[in-house]
Amino acid sequence: MARKTPLAPAALLLLLGGLAGIKVGLDGMPRAKIPGAGIVYLPSGPAVKAAVFGFSSLTADVSYVWAIQYYGNTAVPDRRRHFNRIFEVIADLDPNWMDPYLTAALIAHHDFRDPELALKMYDDGAARNPGAWIFPFEAGHYCQLYLRDYERAKSYYRKAMDLPEAPAIARRLFANAAFKTMDYQTSWETWREVYETAPDREIKKIASNHLYNIKASVDIAALNAALERFREIRGRAARRLDELASTRLIAAVPKDFDGKDYLYDPKTGEVKTAVIPWKR
Amino acid sequence: MGNVLELADVRKSFRPGFIPKKREVLTGVSFTVAAGEIFGYLGPNGAGKTTTIKCVLGLVFPDAGTVSLFGRSPLNPRSKDRLGFLPENPYFYDHLSGREFLDFYAQLSRVDKTERAGRIDRLLRLVGLERAAEQALRKYSRGMLQRIGLAQALINEPEFVILDEPLGGLDPLGRKEIRDIILGLRAAGRTVLFTSHILQDIEMICDRVAIIVGGRILSQGRLSDLVSEKILFTEITLAGVDDASLADFGDRLQTREGRTLLKVFDETRVQPLLDLVRERGGRIHALVPRTQTLEDIFVDTVARR
Amino acid sequence: MTILVIARHTFKEAVRDRILYLLLFFSSLSIILARVLAVLTVGDRVKVVKDVCLASIAFFGALMAILIGTGLVYKEIEKRTIFTLISKPLRRSEFLLGKYLGLVLTLAAMVAAMTVISLAVVFLHTFTLEIQMLPAVFFIFLELMLLTAVAVLFSCFSTPILSSLFALSFYLIGHFSWGLDTLIRKTPPGIGRTLLRVLDAILPDLENFNIKTEVVQNLPLPSGFGLGAAGYAVVYTAFVLLLAVLIFRRRDFV
Repeated sequence: MARKTPLAPAALLLLLGGLAGIKVGLDGMPRAKIPGAGIVYLPSGPAVKAAVFGFSSLTADVSYVWAIQYYGNTAVPDRRRHFNRIFEVIADLDPNWMDPYLTAALIAHHDFRDPELALKMYDDGAARNPGAWIFPFEAGHYCQLYLRDYERAKSYYRKAMDLPEAPAIARRLFANAAFKTMDYQTSWETWREVYETAPDREIKKIASNHLYNIKASVDIAALNAALERFREIRGRAARRLDELASTRLIAAVPKDFDGKDYLYDPKTGEVKTAVIPWKR
Repeated sequence: MGNVLELADVRKSFRPGFIPKKREVLTGVSFTVAAGEIFGYLGPNGAGKTTTIKCVLGLVFPDAGTVSLFGRSPLNPRSKDRLGFLPENPYFYDHLSGREFLDFYAQLSRVDKTERAGRIDRLLRLVGLERAAEQALRKYSRGMLQRIGLAQALINEPEFVILDEPLGGLDPLGRKEIRDIILGLRAAGRTVLFTSHILQDIEMICDRVAIIVGGRILSQGRLSDLVSEKILFTEITLAGVDDASLADFGDRLQTREGRTLLKVFDETRVQPLLDLVRERGGRIHALVPRTQTLEDIFVDTVARR
Repeated sequence: MTILVIARHTFKEAVRDRILYLLLFFSSLSIILARVLAVLTVGDRVKVVKDVCLASIAFFGALMAILIGTGLVYKEIEKRTIFTLISKPLRRSEFLLGKYLGLVLTLAAMVAAMTVISLAVVFLHTFTLEIQMLPAVFFIFLELMLLTAVAVLFSCFSTPILSSLFALSFYLIGHFSWGLDTLIRKTPPGIGRTLLRVLDAILPDLENFNIKTEVVQNLPLPSGFGLGAAGYAVVYTAFVLLLAVLIFRRRDFV
């Protein structure tokens, strides 16, 4: 008995078309926006956490996604300004979520060209997640690759390698960084350890190459020093390495890791290994 | 005068919730209400009385059948111009006073502004609520709500008034007052349809009656046609006559404290029985001739199902 | 006009509802709080005050629209007051539109009250009447009109709690529809993208009524935007109301 009015559905469709049309038209209009203006309202992390009624990790997710959009938007002129605050809020909301720290470091390095800021992000992550090897591990990379600061790389790798589930390469990177800082003792001991506990021949080979290299470096440095002294005492370059031992400048001429002799060129006064360490 | 309301084979079923099974409430209801009469719509609770009325008012759409109100669709506002309705257990806006409420409904019924105040006063007087007019409806008792409900039903001076259980929730005095109002409406030439599950109400004032049970009209007609004037039997309570001599007069129902209740079916046997009692020096305590009542028909028809 | 009678009554009913005053109280509180916030902030204080004022009007207006809008029609059915109403010479569509109109009137009164309080609070900072805030309020009101229509639509066939949830979802979807844009850009061209585009055109975009930033920052609006957005509100509201009427006209009142 409900009156049938074909007019009504037709009008309904007409209106639907109308609203869709207007919407498309409105979408075509570029709205003036101050890029990133909303950031001013971001309160401190604990305040946000209190305000989101237990949805803190969800809020962290949303903020994180939003932060990525925000930093992806090159139109925001001083994105750098609120960087710490944004990621601090996210970290406060969900401290054990690793991605934001890593992404933040990535943004800091690639976007702002600021490895120190990236390191700060890793430090924050590590401080809130003391058991996670990824933060010191990545930080070590940054120090080694971009800062060429092997001292800091060494200490980051040291932290990383002792953490549970850290990849074995962390120990080797540590040994390598120690070598670069000329801490031959530590490097030698660490490589030795790697050599002895190596799970396969390839690792063993790598370790032995490094051990060879360290021994060569130490020996050659000692020989160079002795050669220098010899020149001072005798007023001429040594003709052979044996002369160093006979003048008691060294106890004995050292052999390399494989028991072979080092090569000495009296004309240039240069001491070399008989083989290239990596092609042994 | 023609028919005010015609229902032809109205059917309605409801689907409670998402259960696919249908619950049939009306299974073919047909009746007509003629102008100027009081029509009683009788049925036990849950028989479909209120659903029928909702179909008439356009609150519910029948699955099949036709309803015509003043010869038009019940949805037509012009037919509702001439209609008044009092729902069962009426409830109205809490926040309005009785007068505000009637004024609101008067506006809806397009009662002329100059006439509104006077008519509202008249109706308040009619239903006996003059003194509660300024009170908020939330403070009204059930009986008062029933009265204000009747007042709103009459606000547009309707030709046809539908009252759903108008006497429910009222004290005996209130019932009488409402009955008088209904009779007054008929006297003023209005048509009234009212429902009840109480027989006496209908018996007392209705011209015609329809009985609905289980969604079907079981019987309808003039009250005088439905109820025969013939005496069905006579109940006589007497004392001082021995049971044996009474045996051929009728059924002896019970004997207590020396009194005997006798049911005499043959009208011609009543006088000889009275003679016998006098002859024996006995006494007549009561003599009740029983004609058929609406209740008998009702019980009959319900039982026949 | 029967619609107007119903509208007036609805307005009267709504303004006697206690929940309205509770919301008005909280919105006033939040607007006044803007002053406190201004003390705490560093930089442009007036901006913060205006932002909080407009946000309060938008938020509490939406809350009022949803909470009152979803209850009014349902209550008439639930408490069976609609039985006698429908028995009057009143079309169902007139009833529904009257209810809607009454609600819009109520919201207009409430928004006006909140606006006056906001202007007063801003006046305390700038000592000028910042009437350039009014366009933003107008657009908020357009949004509330649409939201009310949606609330009424849902309350035609659902309980207030469910309707509130539905209306709230509508509000949220309306304000996150930019997410769909991003999705469209990332979807490869094809049927999926076309479907998303259709969805994007049909789903409400309430951001079209959000010119709070522009007003506070004094940014220009694209020419014709205001007219377009107003048209959008009117057409969308008409669509929702027509849908509501169609549903309401067919339902049984048991």
